[in-house]
Amino acid sequence: MKKYILKRLLQIIPVLIIITFVVFCLVYVAGDPVALMLPEDSSESDREALRQALGLNDPFIVQYFGFVMDLMQGNFGTSFRYNQEALPLVLERLPATLELAFASMVVATVISIPLGIYSAKKQNTFGDLFITGGSVLGKAMPNFWLGIILILFFAVNITIFPVSGRGSFMHIILPAITLGTGIAAEMTRLIRSNMLEILNQDYIRTAKSKGVSNSVLVYKHAFRNSLIPVVTIMGLQISHLVSGALITESVFAWPGIGQLLVQAVNGRDMAVVQAAVFVIAILVIVVNLITDLIYRLLDPRIHYS
Amino acid sequence: MKKLNVLLMVVGLILLLAIAGCGGDASSDGSAASGDDENKSLVIAQASDLTTMDPQNSLSTTGDRVFRNMFSRLFYWDKNMELQTEAAESYEQLDDTTWTFNLKEGMTFHNGDPVTAEDVKFSLERVMTDDTLKEYSYFQQISEVNVLDELQVEIITDGPMPTLLNVLAKSGSDIMPKNYFEEVGLEEFQKNPIGSGPYKYVEWLRDDKVVLEPYTDYFGGEPKWEKVTVRSIPESSTRVGEILTGGVDLATDIPPNEWERIEGESSVKLVDGESTRVSLLMVRTTEGSVTADPRVREAIDLAIDQQAIVDALFRGTAVPVRSRVPEGVFGSNPDLYDTRVFDIEKAKELLAEAGYADGVEITFTASKGRYPLDGEVAELITAMLGEVGIKVNLKLLESSAFIDDYNSKANEELLMIGLADGLLDASYSLVHYTKERAAGQTDYYNEEVEELFHEAGRNLDMEERSKQYQRIQEIVAEERPHIFLFQQGSDYAIRENVEFTPNLNEVILFDDISKN
Repeated sequence: MKKYILKRLLQIIPVLIIITFVVFCLVYVAGDPVALMLPEDSSESDREALRQALGLNDPFIVQYFGFVMDLMQGNFGTSFRYNQEALPLVLERLPATLELAFASMVVATVISIPLGIYSAKKQNTFGDLFITGGSVLGKAMPNFWLGIILILFFAVNITIFPVSGRGSFMHIILPAITLGTGIAAEMTRLIRSNMLEILNQDYIRTAKSKGVSNSVLVYKHAFRNSLIPVVTIMGLQISHLVSGALITESVFAWPGIGQLLVQAVNGRDMAVVQAAVFVIAILVIVVNLITDLIYRLLDPRIHYS
Repeated sequence: MKKLNVLLMVVGLILLLAIAGCGGDASSDGSAASGDDENKSLVIAQASDLTTMDPQNSLSTTGDRVFRNMFSRLFYWDKNMELQTEAAESYEQLDDTTWTFNLKEGMTFHNGDPVTAEDVKFSLERVMTDDTLKEYSYFQQISEVNVLDELQVEIITDGPMPTLLNVLAKSGSDIMPKNYFEEVGLEEFQKNPIGSGPYKYVEWLRDDKVVLEPYTDYFGGEPKWEKVTVRSIPESSTRVGEILTGGVDLATDIPPNEWERIEGESSVKLVDGESTRVSLLMVRTTEGSVTADPRVREAIDLAIDQQAIVDALFRGTAVPVRSRVPEGVFGSNPDLYDTRVFDIEKAKELLAEAGYADGVEITFTASKGRYPLDGEVAELITAMLGEVGIKVNLKLLESSAFIDDYNSKANEELLMIGLADGLLDASYSLVHYTKERAAGQTDYYNEEVEELFHEAGRNLDMEERSKQYQRIQEIVAEERPHIFLFQQGSDYAIRENVEFTPNLNEVILFDDISKN
């Protein structure tokens, strides 16, 4: 087990090297950050001077090599935009993003588990059709649109929640619903189909014939066994959460990594893009690892070696 | 089974903690409604966050709106856009290149240190010499700053510098606390910046808000607000949502597509302001291009109905112009403001004369999403030019791709851009018509313009200087290396109990706002 975890952790290294190289190339190809830092009518010589001062005139190889050397020492370089070390800029926004991600997962779980079970139990009834139809809709709604609509209804028309920003508990509800809805939809469908499959298994029939009550049957025998794929999908949703956060955070002025990354990309702020992608990559890899480990707890038959 | 229970408990606990964590700091709610005394606190929402707490490295309106209230400068623009002394008590010009400035007595920084000539010297020298600062290039004509005594400073310029006072009122000329800055260094300074303006720094939560409180010992009298919060809300519909619900008192950068939403509500008002930004078509006059022929350039200008663009897209809030120097900026030409030339028949004649009676094809580069409704403006112009037989290949580019095209001078016949004036002096805009700056972009050259521009740049007779700039604009309006469209507006939304008059430079002095 320990060996397995160690192996998985070591795999992170080549993944990160590839990611940083690809991101470096992308940002490099995207163009000149200085053009976006100075006003439109700055003169060629002003731009040249700033480019020189920031070391942007060096050839690609020199820039990349310098970047990698710095990275070895845990230094992502200085943000052009903020004139500050990039990694702390990203890390200081991490709590806000994690908070939103957690809250969205709570929303998704709270919605999807009861709906999924209900839907499976009452297969092909009106309720089931309503839920499966709703989940298609939930999956199809873009975050951007949903966020704006939620603000319009629940913050502007009926002023229950604050429009934007981060602060009190009330502030997180609308962004969490925005980000959690799509995930809830996906999880609902998955729980439903898993439950259906399991409910048709022999051992369920055996249990039923031996007179086990319906609720014990559903919750103890069926639901537990349908959890494994659900955990997988929850783990995989982390990347959805991150990409959704880019938009949701911008709509709700939520001061997290997503908003920072959007601005950094717009401003071609290489160091911040790198640091943010790096942190997100580690996050995704770690969550996936944890997901794999949770399998073992859920199903003792699974062994890693 | 046991394992599962443990797992469920752990997951439950994490979720619980997450929720508790969210609710933990409910008291630090930044909305206006939660202030102790609602009328004593002010909340402003801007479209982007500050990038730094170093006022000499910001070069942005969003930054300046905060710094202008945190730091003092020797001069400032009052609400009538007149240049007034701020930290300077008086000043004197000794000869063409030597100026002395007396500072006001009794000014202090937010940590209690007095503001002295040493601080002024330190601040100006920092921005004059550190070429990594974004404000660096604007301060190059100042060659020396000398301390005469504690409250007197001498500035020596490289040749006569008629724009010196403008520069001393510009962003980047903020007076920095020398002792404090040298003691703590830039990094610490940014965590706890200290100025000598009416409001002092409380906290900056990045991408969220800057909070300021009044500095009661401010030399200009006690500030008005007990708390000022400047929030960053990038999404315009969210910004409008906040103003509609009273979460903020004033929101900046309201795009035209949100105007109707605001006008439909009685609790909020839309305020149309002006900006120094002028939308214009940059025209290539390079030998060999279609637009090298002045008749073609004139025909393009005549074919475009600037008034129709302004009325159709901006509901008449923008102003059609024939110069890049809008009213209110030194050296503007009133004859070229709020006017247009529009004559389709004459445009057709000119094209025929130029040998393009059967039509001509040009390439027109424009941005989409960089300025309000820029894509729509470009499409309207394309249609208008089509009316007179000019077939336009419209190249609509996303903002950063557009700027690359512009900077690499890849513009073909026409390129639409909005240019602002950070100095409020015509010299800032008109430099574009000098041979050096026009090279590769418009390739415009006119000997008279060249001479006038260089003379005016060293002319300390303000009246004559203004005339020289006006003359340059006349020539440019005639020869059309730029074809001007309109002066862009700057739109704000305010709560109905707020009074606010926008400034041409788009800076907001908190104490000029009032709330009932």
